[in-house]
Amino acid sequence: MRLNILIGGKAGQGINKVSEIVSMILIKQGYFVFNYRDYPSLIRGGHNFNILSVSEEKIGSYQSKLDGIVALDQKTIALHKNKLKKGGFVVDSKDFENLGRNLNLALAGALIKILGIDNKILMEEIKKEFNKKEALSAAEKGLASQKNIFNIKKQNNNNITLMTGSQGIAQGAINSRIDRYIAYPMTPATGVMHELAASQLKNDKTISHNNNKNIHQHNHQNNLLVFQAENEIAVVNAALGASFTGAKTIIGTSGGGFDLMCEGISLQGQSEIPLVIYLAARPGPGTGVPTYSSQADLNIALRGGHGEFPRIVIAPGDPLECIEKTNEAFYLSEKFNSLSVILSDKHLAESWFSSDRKPNKILNVKSSRNRKIPGKRIVKASSYEHDEMGYTTESAEIAAQKAKGRLLKYEKIQKECDKFEMIKIHGKKKSKNLIIGWGSTKTVILDAIKGLDYKFLQVLYLMPLSDKIREEMKKAKKIILIEENMTGQLGRIIREKTSLKIKHRILKYDGRTFSSDVLRDEILKVKNEYKK
Amino acid sequence: MSTKNKLKTKLRIKLGTKNEDTWCPGCPNHNILESTKRVLTKLIGKGYKQEDFAMVTGIGCHAKIFDYLNISGIYGLHGRVLPTALGIKLGNPNLTVLGFAGDGDTYAEGMAHFIHAGRYNANMTLVVHDNQSFSLTTGQSTPTSQQGYKNKAKPFGEFDKPLNPIKLALASGMSFIARCNARDVAHTERILEKAIRHKGFSFVEIIQDCLIFNLEANNKDGLMYKISDNKNKKKAEQLAEEWDYNNKHGRIPLGVIYQEKKKTLEEKWPQLAALSKTLRKRKISRKRKTEIK
Repeated sequence: MRLNILIGGKAGQGINKVSEIVSMILIKQGYFVFNYRDYPSLIRGGHNFNILSVSEEKIGSYQSKLDGIVALDQKTIALHKNKLKKGGFVVDSKDFENLGRNLNLALAGALIKILGIDNKILMEEIKKEFNKKEALSAAEKGLASQKNIFNIKKQNNNNITLMTGSQGIAQGAINSRIDRYIAYPMTPATGVMHELAASQLKNDKTISHNNNKNIHQHNHQNNLLVFQAENEIAVVNAALGASFTGAKTIIGTSGGGFDLMCEGISLQGQSEIPLVIYLAARPGPGTGVPTYSSQADLNIALRGGHGEFPRIVIAPGDPLECIEKTNEAFYLSEKFNSLSVILSDKHLAESWFSSDRKPNKILNVKSSRNRKIPGKRIVKASSYEHDEMGYTTESAEIAAQKAKGRLLKYEKIQKECDKFEMIKIHGKKKSKNLIIGWGSTKTVILDAIKGLDYKFLQVLYLMPLSDKIREEMKKAKKIILIEENMTGQLGRIIREKTSLKIKHRILKYDGRTFSSDVLRDEILKVKNEYKK
Repeated sequence: MSTKNKLKTKLRIKLGTKNEDTWCPGCPNHNILESTKRVLTKLIGKGYKQEDFAMVTGIGCHAKIFDYLNISGIYGLHGRVLPTALGIKLGNPNLTVLGFAGDGDTYAEGMAHFIHAGRYNANMTLVVHDNQSFSLTTGQSTPTSQQGYKNKAKPFGEFDKPLNPIKLALASGMSFIARCNARDVAHTERILEKAIRHKGFSFVEIIQDCLIFNLEANNKDGLMYKISDNKNKKKAEQLAEEWDYNNKHGRIPLGVIYQEKKKTLEEKWPQLAALSKTLRKRKISRKRKTEIK
C-alpha cells in the first residue's frame, strides 16, 4: 500500500501541524511516512503544501498522483485537482466553520477517519498535546465529518522515528560535543540554527568524552552557544577565532552565504584552524528560487576559496546519515586541523523522513596531537605563509615546503576517510545496471528502483572521492547518473577522477525534487534506449 | 641597573621577537609597538599573564606588529579583525584580546563589523592605526583621507569628504572611545592601559603619520591637546566635532573621549559567564598544584 495525500493552504494556516499530528499517529501504528514541504518565499498568504506519503514499507519520497487532498483554502483544490487519482478524496475546510486556530485539528480528525485509524488514538494524542475543550471538540467534528475509506491496521514495525535533515545535522553536532554554532539566517540552513539554539543551556549527560585538550569540556555540561553574527563574513572569521581557542565550532549557510565566506574558507586552509561548515543548497544563481531545492552547489563546496588546500566534502542522503556524517566531519576536521563541508539541500533539510534504523556509534572527536591552544602557551595562526612559530615568511623554500605539507595532509585525510562509508551500494548488488547519485536523491532513487534490476551507488564523500567508484563502474554495463542540477556536477568529478564518462544522465533543475514514480519512468526510458 | 629595571628588560625581551623589522625607518608604527610593549610589560608586572593575551591583526602596514610582538594571536584577513577577535572572546572569554587594524582595514573593508562591535560590547580593545592612506598598497585614499588627496588611483584628487570615526563610534554605542598620537609613546601607553582595563569594547584611534604617502595629512601635532577622561556624552559629541579629519583647522583632542559602563558580551551570555568561571577555577587549582610540588 502506498498513499499520497496533499495538504495545502495559505502560509500561516497550519498545514504543517496537520501533517505532523497525522504523521506521529501513523508512525506509532507502524507505518513509514515521508513528508515533502513546498512553500514560496513569504510568511502569510500564498500557497503552501505538504505531500504526506504513507506505506507499510520503508519510503523516502512522494509520488506524483494523489489519493487525496486536504484543502485549507479553495486555491489548493483548484491547483491540485488534476493530480487526484480516480475516486480520490477531498477534505474541504469550507465544511468546518468558526473553528479558528483549531481548524487543523478538525482536518487531522477528518484524515484519521478516512485512513481508518481508531478515533481514540487521535483523541489521546490531542489530549496529550493540547488538552483543551475546543481542541477536542474540533477533532471530534473532523472525525464525524468523514467516512472510512482506507483500512490502516497496526503494523509490526517498531521504533520508527520521524526526523528532518536539519534535526539530523543538529544531533550530529551535539553528538560531536560542539561548543559554538555561528550563523547568519539563510534558508534552508536556518533549521539547524533553530534546532541548536533551542538546545542551549541544556545538560547533556548521555555523552561523556574525555579530552583534556578542550577547555570547553567541563563537567560534561552542555556549553553550546549559538551566535547570530552581522553577516556571513563575520560568521566565518568569528568561527575561526573561536576554533583557535579550542572551541569545536560549526557554521551554517546556503550558497550565497557560502560565497561570502570563501575568503575565510581560504584563511582556514592557510591557518589550519579546524572548521566545519554546513552548506544547505537551494537553486541559484543569485537569489534564485530560495525556498526550493537543488544540488547545484557541489562545485562551490569542492572549490570555494582561493589557493590550494585540503578539505573534506561529505553529502549525507537522509537524516540518520546527517547525524553520522556530521560526526565524521568533526572527527576529520579536528584530527587534521582541516576544513569539512557537510553538503545538504532544502529537500533533505526540511522534509520529514521516517526510519527504524539506529544511528552508528558516536565517534569520539579528539583534537590532533599538535594542536596548541592560546591561554596555556603562545600560539600564532596566520593568513600569511608562515614558519613553524607562526611568523610571516616569504621564503621560496618554506612556501614550497608548506604547500607540499598541505598536499601531504590531503593524502593522510584520504587514508583516514577509507575507514568510513565513502560510498554505499543499494538495490540489487549483482546487477549490471548501475545508478550513481548523491545527497538528498538517495531515498527517492531507492523508492524508484524497488523491484527493478538496478544497483544504486550512493556517493557520500565527494572529496576525497572513493577509488571504489571506478571499480563499480567497470563492473557495470549500463550506468545512469541522477542529479538535481543542470550540468551533472558529480558526473564531472567522477570523470576527472576515473576518466570514465557517464552517457546517460537524468537531471532535474526546476527546484522541485523527483517524485519516485516519475523517476522510475525516466529510469525505464533509459533502459529501453539501451534495448534499441 | 635596579632589580625592577632588570625585570622590565627581561620582560621586554620576551615580548619582542627576532623577526626583521620591515616598517620604513622612522615610521610611527614603531612607536605604537613601543607603547604596546610598555603597557603589556606593566600589565604582566601587575598579574596579567603573557599567555593570556591574544591579538588579531588585519592586513596592511599596521599588521606587521603581529610578527614583532611575542603574544598569541591570529594574523587575520584584511578588514576582519573585529569578527575574528569576537570569535576568540566567544571561544575563551578569559583571554585579553587586542585588535590591531588600519584605517582602510576598519573603515572601508570591515565597516560592518565596526558598527556592530558597539552593540555586542565584547570585552576587548581595538587599536586603529590611522594614517589616512592605504600605504602598503602604495598610497590610495581611505575613508579618512582628506578631500583633494591626489594618488595613483585618484589622479583628480579624492572627491569625498572623510568619515569621522569618533562620531561613528559614539553613534554605534561603543563604551570606550579614545584618540592618541603615535608619536606620544607615554600618553599612548597610558590610554592603552585604560582601554585594556575597561570592561567592554574599547576603541582607540591612533593618529599615525605615514612618511611615504599622503604627506600633506601629516604634522598635525601642533593642533593636538590632551583632555582629561570624559564620561559625558554631550561633551564627547563636542570633542568628536572638533576635528573633521579633512583639514588642519580646529583642535585635535587626545585622550579618553568617552567612557560608560555597559553590559558586556561575556555578561550577557550565561554560557560565557559560566565558562569564564570554570576556566578561572581551573587555573587557580593548577597553580596550587604546582605550588605544592
